[in-house]
Amino acid sequence: MKAKLKWALPGLLALMVFASGCGNSGGGAESGNGNGNSNGGATATATDGGGEAAGKTITLKFWGGVPEEAGPLDMVKAWNDANDDVKVEYVRFVNDDSGNLKLDTALVAGENIDLYVSYAKFMVEKRVQAGSALNLSQLEGYDIEGKLGEAVKAWKFEDGYYGLPTVSSQSFIWLNKDALDAAGLPLPALDWTQSDLAAYAKRLSRDTTYGYVQGTNMFSFNMDGELQNDFVKDGKSNLDTPVTRASLEAWHKMMHEDKSMPTYGEQVATKMPVDASFLKGEAAMFGAGNWIFRNANNLTDYPREFKIAFATVPRPDGARSDFRMEGGLSDVVSINPKSAYKDEAWKFLQWYADEGVTYLSKGGRIPASGQVDNSVTMVKLVEGNEQLYDLDSLKNVLFGNQETYINTVPVQLNDLRAEEMENYFLNSRSLDQTMENIVKRHNDLIKRNG
Amino acid sequence: MSRLKKGFSGNNPIGYLFVAPSMIGIGLFYLVPAVMSFVMMFTDYSFMDKGGLHFTGLDNFNRLMEDASFHNAVGKTFIFLMTVPVSILLSFPIAYALNQSVYWSKLLRTLYFLPYIMNGVAIAFVWMLLFHPGQGPINATLRLIGISNPPGWMAQTDTAIFAVAIIHIWIMVGYNMIIYLAGLQDVPKELVEASRMDGARFWHTIRYVTVPLVSPTTFLLLITGFISAIKTFGIIQATTGGGPGESTSVLSIYIYKTAFRYYEMGYASAISWVLFAIVMLVMLLNWIGQKRWVHY
Repeated sequence: MKAKLKWALPGLLALMVFASGCGNSGGGAESGNGNGNSNGGATATATDGGGEAAGKTITLKFWGGVPEEAGPLDMVKAWNDANDDVKVEYVRFVNDDSGNLKLDTALVAGENIDLYVSYAKFMVEKRVQAGSALNLSQLEGYDIEGKLGEAVKAWKFEDGYYGLPTVSSQSFIWLNKDALDAAGLPLPALDWTQSDLAAYAKRLSRDTTYGYVQGTNMFSFNMDGELQNDFVKDGKSNLDTPVTRASLEAWHKMMHEDKSMPTYGEQVATKMPVDASFLKGEAAMFGAGNWIFRNANNLTDYPREFKIAFATVPRPDGARSDFRMEGGLSDVVSINPKSAYKDEAWKFLQWYADEGVTYLSKGGRIPASGQVDNSVTMVKLVEGNEQLYDLDSLKNVLFGNQETYINTVPVQLNDLRAEEMENYFLNSRSLDQTMENIVKRHNDLIKRNG
Repeated sequence: MSRLKKGFSGNNPIGYLFVAPSMIGIGLFYLVPAVMSFVMMFTDYSFMDKGGLHFTGLDNFNRLMEDASFHNAVGKTFIFLMTVPVSILLSFPIAYALNQSVYWSKLLRTLYFLPYIMNGVAIAFVWMLLFHPGQGPINATLRLIGISNPPGWMAQTDTAIFAVAIIHIWIMVGYNMIIYLAGLQDVPKELVEASRMDGARFWHTIRYVTVPLVSPTTFLLLITGFISAIKTFGIIQATTGGGPGESTSVLSIYIYKTAFRYYEMGYASAISWVLFAIVMLVMLLNWIGQKRWVHY
């Protein structure tokens, strides 16, 4: 009896371990339902619900950074309704450091991902290096350069395309037209400068809390439009030029002298929600891009009555005549080479690029494919809220054929520059010291990476 | 009976079964990664690199020597370590007071301990509001008492590290206080009374009786405090993320950035082992020092 008791406890423990093991695998099977086994890709599962002699249904797993409700749900529904044997499941990851880390880990670990979206050039580069993207140029059926035009070449790697850009992304300035009208300011010209912006902001800050706000990542956009990816010149850092200095000085003046925009310290210390600040009418101008439409069209969470107009990203004073706005093609969709259903994924991707992505327009995504009519996209961008937008400036700025370029700044360079710029904006260092540090750290980086 | 047979027929199998879950966990999540990072620190391994391991000898350590961001991180880590003695100094009087018969002592004890068990990110956001340079209550109070130009706290490169240190101290005080309370319970009342009879004043009793008697507790708090301060990551990442500039970039933040933003696993492993060496060094100094002031 005693001996039996002695085994009772460990027996129970063993049972628990076993049971929890079962539970795990059960959960695993559940979460993996419709997207397969450990070798990646999609697996076939019997259709539930319908269950007729439909045979096998494939479910493709598609990872993207756009929130489900901002278009992807409609897109998935449209595809699934039209296709019986190939279903798509959308998985949202947040497009930030930890979200991308999650995606990269999943790709390297061989999780079941058939397609995924990258939002920056350096990320595509990394994923191509890791062998996590299929060379689409080897596949047939889609004339990439024909449909996406010259601009797509910015995404070309030595031996072809490893992802299909699906969206034309742009940075521009959002304007509170009512505030401009009240101050008697006309809509700015398409080639306005940072000084012009500063003058506008100074005037507008008399009536609103701030004349201008922008996300912290935007502080380098103007100088980058001047550099256009020529960060290195003759093996040395090219970041210290009169124009880059002028750009930084202009921001500094707006923060500390004109007080027409929040100081950098205030902005980061409070993680200021700049989009909400603009949409609530606290700031009259806002530097951002097309991704803001999903909030601007959301009048439940961001109620407003003023009209929104648009302006281009201002060029730094003294900028070259062929200054360009950052933007161009983006949202690059790649196929995971480990996918078990590459053909189906490729078929879906072609549909997505030409048609599926249009469902994302209400969230601010402008389709890249030449097959999609701009005027149709424009209608979709503002659908239902037409009276709250100035459609002329929308057309001129977003669809006005401004030359854009794709910023390929390496992440380390972007970070070190941002760190040094912060010191300048916070008055911890002078502009000279800041520039000196940026150049020194950049040269170290160049040396290290060969 | 052979040793082997004896080993399995007694209570041992049960024992092994009981330790197995934690041993497997430690092996999988601590030992294996530790060994791997040890190997990786001699390579230029990048997480998204299908090339495999390239041994680069001591290259990573040469880079450490010249890396100003790393030197900055070491300096910031040592500043942050100062939170440990400060929080211990603050928690002792509180514990001492609560150990006497005071009103609401149970409630107060709970209140002081609360920060320690609260969600770190929630704490971070509340403190960000408190530290708001313009409209935050802290600066409002400072202005009220006549300081016209209060610090910018997290919005200023030279004060940001102190701002996050204050949060860490606030969290740790409650924990230290609880441990001290336990230690104070063990201080024999006779000794305190005897010293009073001999004419010792209040301060003398504390200085020459209570403090020496709780010195093992203080030592424990120092050791655990240093370890937890060195690994602090959450509240810094949630409040400043290492900024502004690199002003709050302590080693744990720098390692995270190197490994999971730049994917430079080899270099990040090297920094991690340096961090380990620093922890060991601090522990060693503590250990050597304790002989002089810890009374068991």
